[in-house]
Amino acid sequence: MAYAVEVTDVSKMFKLHHENVKSLKEKVLFFRRRGYEEFWALKDIDVKVEEGDTLGLIGANGSGKTTLLKCITKILYPTKGRITTSGSIAALLELGAGFQADLTGRENVYLNASILGFSRKEVDKKFDDIVAFSELERFIDNHVRNYSSGMYVRLGFAIAINVDPDILIIDEVLAVGDEAFQRKCLERINEIQNAGKTIIFVTHNVEVTQEICNRVIMLDQGNIVKDGAPREVVPFYHKAMEPEEESRERGNLRIMVTGVELLNGEGKPATEFYTGESLKIRVSYLAQEPVEDPVFGFSIDDYRGFTAYGTNTGLKGMNLGTVSGEGVIEFDLKSLPMLEGRYFVNLSIHSRDEQTVYHWLDRHATFEMNSRINDVGLLYIPCEILVNP
Amino acid sequence: MMIEKIRDLWLHRELLWNMTVKELKVKYKRSVLGFVWSFANPIIMIAVFSLVFAILAKGAKMQWFVVYLMSGLLPWLFFVNSLMQSVGSVVGNPGLVKKVYFPREILPLAAVGANIFHFVLQMSVFFVFLLIIRWHFSIYILLVPLVLLLEVIFTLGLSLFLSAANVYLRDVQHFVEVATMAWFWLTPIVYTMSTFSSVAGKYTPIYLINPMADIVLMWQYIIYNPQRYGPSAVYVSPWGFVGTVIVSVVLLVFGYFFFTRTERGFAEQI
Repeated sequence: MAYAVEVTDVSKMFKLHHENVKSLKEKVLFFRRRGYEEFWALKDIDVKVEEGDTLGLIGANGSGKTTLLKCITKILYPTKGRITTSGSIAALLELGAGFQADLTGRENVYLNASILGFSRKEVDKKFDDIVAFSELERFIDNHVRNYSSGMYVRLGFAIAINVDPDILIIDEVLAVGDEAFQRKCLERINEIQNAGKTIIFVTHNVEVTQEICNRVIMLDQGNIVKDGAPREVVPFYHKAMEPEEESRERGNLRIMVTGVELLNGEGKPATEFYTGESLKIRVSYLAQEPVEDPVFGFSIDDYRGFTAYGTNTGLKGMNLGTVSGEGVIEFDLKSLPMLEGRYFVNLSIHSRDEQTVYHWLDRHATFEMNSRINDVGLLYIPCEILVNP
Repeated sequence: MMIEKIRDLWLHRELLWNMTVKELKVKYKRSVLGFVWSFANPIIMIAVFSLVFAILAKGAKMQWFVVYLMSGLLPWLFFVNSLMQSVGSVVGNPGLVKKVYFPREILPLAAVGANIFHFVLQMSVFFVFLLIIRWHFSIYILLVPLVLLLEVIFTLGLSLFLSAANVYLRDVQHFVEVATMAWFWLTPIVYTMSTFSSVAGKYTPIYLINPMADIVLMWQYIIYNPQRYGPSAVYVSPWGFVGTVIVSVVLLVFGYFFFTRTERGFAEQI
């Protein structure tokens, strides 16, 4: 298999100038002072991207993702190491980079495409596709100056994605545009993939990588910390991105949670579950004094904070009467429908009218969902497919 | 490395063309008269100078001073405008330099290219004026393309060097502004070479080291036709000519070399 991009031992150092010495006077005055610190944005990066691969780069802000893209596209040059590419590259580091406000959309299409390295003839052939994709038929002969930011973005994306490069490089621009347009972009990316082209892109929306990448690399402070299939790298990323374990809790503690266990089908404590397995949340509590009619509840959030499921004794129409001393309450989830990802358990004990909170624990326990099912999405919904030829 | 660069530039020739056209389009984009300004400019200059010198310089030795003046001034303006525009061409386009790869030399080249277009346009207007007044051209007028080529080579070399230097040292921009003003008076445009020689004759060889002086003299020689309109007004120094050709070519090679050596850092510096 041939490599589309070969990054060999690449390091990139930036000089962080203490003061931006840019005029002659300052240069002479500060001649002897080394006015900068070294900052290594990339450290010995070694990546070989095979032709036809779709590679996602993820990592926190400042981890070096964009610097790597810029080195690959020859905007920046590595301080050490070597990068070779084969085939034409269209890089979309910023939508509409190089758009001229005083030219029309049509003129900008040609100018922008030639900046990306495509000839007038090629653009002539693709022009209608580009305009159709951008949905700007009515405005294509207006000055770009009068475009809304959404129109700007659509045109920029339409150009880069329709000119048919061998290697498409995209930096964090998929997040723009409305949902319908994003969907369209992803479909187009799928077509490009099917045509055997190579795609490298940076994103913070790691779910997208699961949808379209066959390989994901996670960068941290200029190093590759994980490289592999999205299924391996994305959970790793979530774990790394988790905020420091500060258990957020509140309440007057008249009843308090003294322990939580997550039990699997065999009744053993577990942190990993498979789709369809059962999960028992066992909560031990201590009521310092008798409390009338408390409500015990829990909810399960995904890493984004979306609640997948939650209930409490109140919603179930139960009345626990007066609670005192120690006790245990179990929430028995018969079958977990979630496919893959990290989930968090929140617990609450409060009065029926929710006016008094006895004890509330956010993200108190966590577990990992795995799946042997190949389906996509958040939840498994039993589905039969009937074919009537 | 240089050969690779030139090949890369050749592959991007269409971009160079588009960027040049863009410079032209953008210049007059929001004006009502648009390109009419490029035509009007030399016409108004001719009219104003004719009027001024008809009143101020009554009885001057040169009957057609305005033709002499224009034949040196237009090439000079081409040179200065090219320099001014290209010096800021890299730092003035951070959106492109930081976000897209393309041969960076296209930026100063397009700036010079747009000015070549303007220059040719203005020269054409000037030639129409000359035809109207039934100017007697000499056979040397056929050398226009060669002199233009020489001036373009000289201008390109300097533009490449200055636009790259300006990225690292923004003083260059301001320096060029001041320097070209002084340079203007060191070039025989509003005065004649014979005036200079009569005042400071022994400095003439030093004076002719200035390539722009030689280039302007060539323009005046081939347009003004001194054989007919006054032999003392214009002359071309053979040594100055040879020297200028050498300097121009060396400067272009050096300028391009300097540009390619420094361009890798452009995206970080602006």
